[in-house]
Amino acid sequence: MEKSKYPLYFSFPAIIVFLVFFITPTVIGFYYSFTDWNINASSIKFNGLDNYKELFNEPRLKQAFTNTLIFAAAVTVLQNVAGLGLALILNEKLKLRNLLRMIFFMPYVIAPLVIGYIFRAIYHPEHGIVNKFFDTIGLDFMMQDWLNDPKFALFTIIITDIWRVAGFSMVVYLAGLQFIPKDLIESASIDGAHYWTRFKHVVFPLLAPAFTVNILLAMIGSMKVFEIVMVLTEGGPGYTTEVFYTYIRNTFSSGEMGYATAINMLLFALVTLVGVPVLMAMKKREVEM
Amino acid sequence: MRNMKAVYLMMVLVLAALTLAACGGNNGNNNNQAAATDAPKNTAAAEPTKEPVKDPVTLTFLIPNTDDVTPYTQIFKDFEAKTGNKVEVQALPGGDYDNMLKTRFSTGDFPDVFLMQPGTKQYVKLRADETLYEWSGEAGVWDNVIESITEFQKDANGKAFGVPFGKTGMMGVFYNKDVFASAGVEPPTNYANLIEIAKKLKDAGVTPFYEGVKDGWPTQVFYLTGWVSQVDQEVGDEGVQQLNVNGLKLSEIAALKDLFVKSKEVKDLGLFQKNTLSGTFDELQNELGEGKVAMAFMLDGILPQLEKKFGNDFVKEKIGFFPFPSTTDTGTAMITPPNQLMVPSKAKNLEAAKELVKFMISSESVNSFYKMHPGIPIFKGATSELYPSQITVQEYIDAGKSKVNVQNRLTASFLDLGKILQTFHISGDVDAAIKEMDTNYVKDGKSKLLEGFE
Repeated sequence: MEKSKYPLYFSFPAIIVFLVFFITPTVIGFYYSFTDWNINASSIKFNGLDNYKELFNEPRLKQAFTNTLIFAAAVTVLQNVAGLGLALILNEKLKLRNLLRMIFFMPYVIAPLVIGYIFRAIYHPEHGIVNKFFDTIGLDFMMQDWLNDPKFALFTIIITDIWRVAGFSMVVYLAGLQFIPKDLIESASIDGAHYWTRFKHVVFPLLAPAFTVNILLAMIGSMKVFEIVMVLTEGGPGYTTEVFYTYIRNTFSSGEMGYATAINMLLFALVTLVGVPVLMAMKKREVEM
Repeated sequence: MRNMKAVYLMMVLVLAALTLAACGGNNGNNNNQAAATDAPKNTAAAEPTKEPVKDPVTLTFLIPNTDDVTPYTQIFKDFEAKTGNKVEVQALPGGDYDNMLKTRFSTGDFPDVFLMQPGTKQYVKLRADETLYEWSGEAGVWDNVIESITEFQKDANGKAFGVPFGKTGMMGVFYNKDVFASAGVEPPTNYANLIEIAKKLKDAGVTPFYEGVKDGWPTQVFYLTGWVSQVDQEVGDEGVQQLNVNGLKLSEIAALKDLFVKSKEVKDLGLFQKNTLSGTFDELQNELGEGKVAMAFMLDGILPQLEKKFGNDFVKEKIGFFPFPSTTDTGTAMITPPNQLMVPSKAKNLEAAKELVKFMISSESVNSFYKMHPGIPIFKGATSELYPSQITVQEYIDAGKSKVNVQNRLTASFLDLGKILQTFHISGDVDAAIKEMDTNYVKDGKSKLLEGFE
């Protein structure tokens, strides 16, 4: 049967929207990153690589870079571990399965800003329920100033974000699990394979497309983290939880537009450099399956 | 073709008809005007021409949320009653006020009127020549402002882009008189004496000082108020002028380094509250008001906040003030000029915004402001009841022992000082803190394209 073909011009509206709202601002931004654009100046001049030279000498950016990578690595791994775990549990025949699926997915629907405000109250050193809980069960040595102590602040933000996004990974893994033919799992069971063996040799390989989507989205999303950090700590105390976007935001608001755009370009390059190889490797794994 | 000819013919006819109709209409008006002119004068007097009714507008007024909105709200109510124009108050986070304002300016999201910190440095920050309405020659604005404040408001070219509003402010040490009395201590005679007093208070079971590290900005007060008592003695006005053109480095000022050392000493001696890193301005007020904390390095914005929480009598009777003491004496009182009202030249309702500013500085509004927000007035003939803590500052001013905040004397800012001090509070590294302060100061001067910073 011959496949139906559609005329090329059907794609023109989408291409135009993409060009106008995505490609053009990116190209313009790329140009501005090589200028001295500053709200205190009346004109904009091309200044070559000056912005890039300056940003590589900026200690705050190094800290933001390190924090972003730690955040991205931790969230990507733990979000997927939590999401996969939840998906495997909620793929079983449980009485409250649908309700539980909804409960675990719900945090993803709530705006990160709202979650930030809620968790600020939860982590409050004196009145927050986390410390109250530890106090009640007699583990008062566990009571900490979760958001204001530099030892814990980044870790606390990571945990909060994992709670927020694990439900999304769960949904993608659940969708992947639905596509695994039941007869393959049943055959493995008849052959005597127990749960772990079935997971390792049947389920895990066939979930490859879900892993690709989840890992890539988690990685890109977490490298662009902003709202949750902004609400919980504003990058503080000091600069201990500063990430790329909180640094960019501060630079933009101080009026150094060209310099801030250069940092944005650096983040764009970083996401591309990390994202493309990961995508290729994951896709290759899918093909090899 | 014949059809097109018919269309053109119709179009010409319609246009001609419209032209004729317009002429006819005009004739009618002329007739009316003639009739009006011919009408006897006493008729006109009996039916005075009504002023065109203006559509009421809603003006947006921006203010940092660290300022008390109450007195402004009352003024805006009176303004609405008089003009019909409403004022919507938008209180933005105090710590981010400047950045949020600049962002709104750069995106063209102008408020109609906004409250800004004092000083001409704000003109540079906001590129006043291009963005703000100039008030220098405006009638009915400067007549009641005292001369020294009028002068402070003008830049090197004699232009004023802001209208001063409010009172002379102060920074220093606010203390709970009851707590001092219980511990048997008096305001200090010099800095060493202050530390002795703090130790006595600690021994009496009270937290000597509260530090709001989480909020960032309260930590700055120690250094700014310490500047006038210590750093100004070393560098003088000449040094500040040198700083203004990047001719002197902050890291070269020994007295500034000494301030960081002193702050570290206070922390190391355990004279701050336990959870300094989670300390906030709000909790500071509660602890000071409840007598759990004896003192706080703070600005006078705390007075209306304390009044709201603990009442007017409490602020009058229980809250005392003294400047940051110097090594040898009680120190110099740090004063701040009043805030200023600014109007963007591209404000949506420019004329109504100007009207609002003039209304705000009228005698009635000013006195209404001082009634709710007592302070040292900057308007001639204005009356204000002063809190005892403000009387203390007035006495220092009268004795010639006061100095304007260094931040108001400099064009570049101590950028991110709150964050630097948070880091310093964690690490305790004096040299690193001063180096970062210096780097950020130069960076800000460079970003503002100031002379000497290029």
